Amino acid sequence: MIATMDRVPAIEVEGLRKVYRSLVAVDNVSFVMHRGEAFGFLGPNGAGKSTVVKILAGLVLPTSGTVRLLGQPLSNLEMRRRIGYLPELPNFHRWLKAKEFLEFHGRLYGMHGVELEKRCREVLALVGLDGREQQKLGTFSKGMMQRIGLAQAILNRPDLVLLDELVSGLDPVGQRDMRDLLRQLKSQGMSIFLNSHQLADVEALCDRVAIINEGRILKVGAPRLLFEGYPVFAVRVNPVTKELLHRLGAIALAVRQDEDDPDMLYVEVQKDEQAADIAEMVHACGARLYGLAPHERSLEQLFLRTIDASRRPIPVEAHQS
Amino acid sequence: MGLLLITRFTLLEAVRRRLFLAVMILSILIIVAFAMLLNLVINASLQGNNGQTSTQILLLSGGVVMTVLTLWMLYLLCSTLTIVFTANMISGEVEAGTFAVIVPKPLRRVEIVLGKWLGYAIIVCLYTALMFFAFLVVLYWQTGYWPPYAPYALGLLELAMLVLLAITTLCSSLVPTIVTGAIALMLFIGAPTASVVRFIVQVVNPAALQSIQNVVTVINLIIPTDALWHGASYYLLPPSADFAVLGLSAQSFDTPFTSSEQIAPALLIWAVLYCIVLPIFAALRFQRRDL
Repeated sequence: MIATMDRVPAIEVEGLRKVYRSLVAVDNVSFVMHRGEAFGFLGPNGAGKSTVVKILAGLVLPTSGTVRLLGQPLSNLEMRRRIGYLPELPNFHRWLKAKEFLEFHGRLYGMHGVELEKRCREVLALVGLDGREQQKLGTFSKGMMQRIGLAQAILNRPDLVLLDELVSGLDPVGQRDMRDLLRQLKSQGMSIFLNSHQLADVEALCDRVAIINEGRILKVGAPRLLFEGYPVFAVRVNPVTKELLHRLGAIALAVRQDEDDPDMLYVEVQKDEQAADIAEMVHACGARLYGLAPHERSLEQLFLRTIDASRRPIPVEAHQS
Repeated sequence: MGLLLITRFTLLEAVRRRLFLAVMILSILIIVAFAMLLNLVINASLQGNNGQTSTQILLLSGGVVMTVLTLWMLYLLCSTLTIVFTANMISGEVEAGTFAVIVPKPLRRVEIVLGKWLGYAIIVCLYTALMFFAFLVVLYWQTGYWPPYAPYALGLLELAMLVLLAITTLCSSLVPTIVTGAIALMLFIGAPTASVVRFIVQVVNPAALQSIQNVVTVINLIIPTDALWHGASYYLLPPSADFAVLGLSAQSFDTPFTSSEQIAPALLIWAVLYCIVLPIFAALRFQRRDL
């Protein structure tokens, strides 16, 4: 079932462009997200990712390009019955009680009667707000607003849910709860589009990620594969001499000394087999080797490297060579 | 369906807002205070009457004048409340971000705008009608005068409120709340200027009246509220046959704020179109707005 759904697009974006007066917010963005997939949209502030989400949600009109959700154009109202959306830092009508809020949104989806009432209770329990039915939204904390926002986004049992910075208002426990809930929803076949700059969310949940910066998509792929680079070894050695650093530098792509732990070196090489060369070099320099292990770089480091690389202008000489 | 849901939501929101409660309480206080003051004025007038005029005639003629003056005040009150109450109807939601979860739902933006417009139209018309009849009942109770064409007067008064609502609907879908409020207030306050100028010219140089009339017409086309009030004030007067009996003259009601003439049918049609076209234009414009 899931394998079949994998091939069906949930979101198709082709040549999307959005220009605000003279500012190009989104420039020729194209990607496909499949049904049943959790798709992360990563990028720094101002990268254009929120504009893309707002276009998907129908809040912003694209300047050019085509967007189809669940195989339908954005204007299709029947398609929108199968979509859920939670905006970044949501603000709701504060005079409404939690239950009234969900009932209103349920009615907008065409739900009513016993079905709506039952579903309201279910989603409140799912987001950890059971017992808060009669509480006014004006008295809700930021985290509770985020939770009730998610409740309205999944109220209609959507096939596709668009989440903009889901955990921005939540404490660590709330973040974990939300991630668990999203995993549960994903296991039930819901397609999740997660716009975030929280790499932990993306890493924990997403099957594929698109990196966006300055309005353009830089890469699309599985998180680990996306950031794949040269192997890095963590080398614990003493003493760290200038000669050792010089000789390691000759065989490595990059050598970095840990600022807090001067005996720790991070050596980036072209191939895994060069671990032996590193060990030999340490002995040749008369230093003692206390540890040599592959260093797993955090997704954050890799993400920052990707963003930095996209910003860095290419030197003329390097480009010519 | 979506339109009616938004209308129902707008009505619920209006009732829940503190502004509504404050307006209701103050409105009741105003009517009670008006009844007491009117009673004092009438008692003073009757005591001052040395028998030259019958009490009934005195009460009725006083009732006519008081009705026009009171309902002019009501017109100002309802107009101001309409502007204050509706200036943020679209822009307020956009600025607060509350539309971000409503617009993606399976309903057209046109339904959202027209649903809100309908909700506010019901509130504004209901409030105006309630206050209109509350004041007339007090006036009737104290003076015995009931305008024979009161429903027509109310109709024009309601139309004036819908004109203001049309302006706030359009502006609110285009510009921020503060700008909407400023535009609506400036238009509303600016409209009687034409009537004042027309009155001055009529007194000072009646020959130049035609040239000023063109300016007045243009202003009435831009903002027909003042013309509608003048039309309403005509329907608050007794039938022309009764003027002499009451010791009044129709000309005495030809002031910058009242009129002894009916509103021109063309202007009435224009005002109705104004109330229909502006909200539709607002809805179509909002359809293309980035949120």
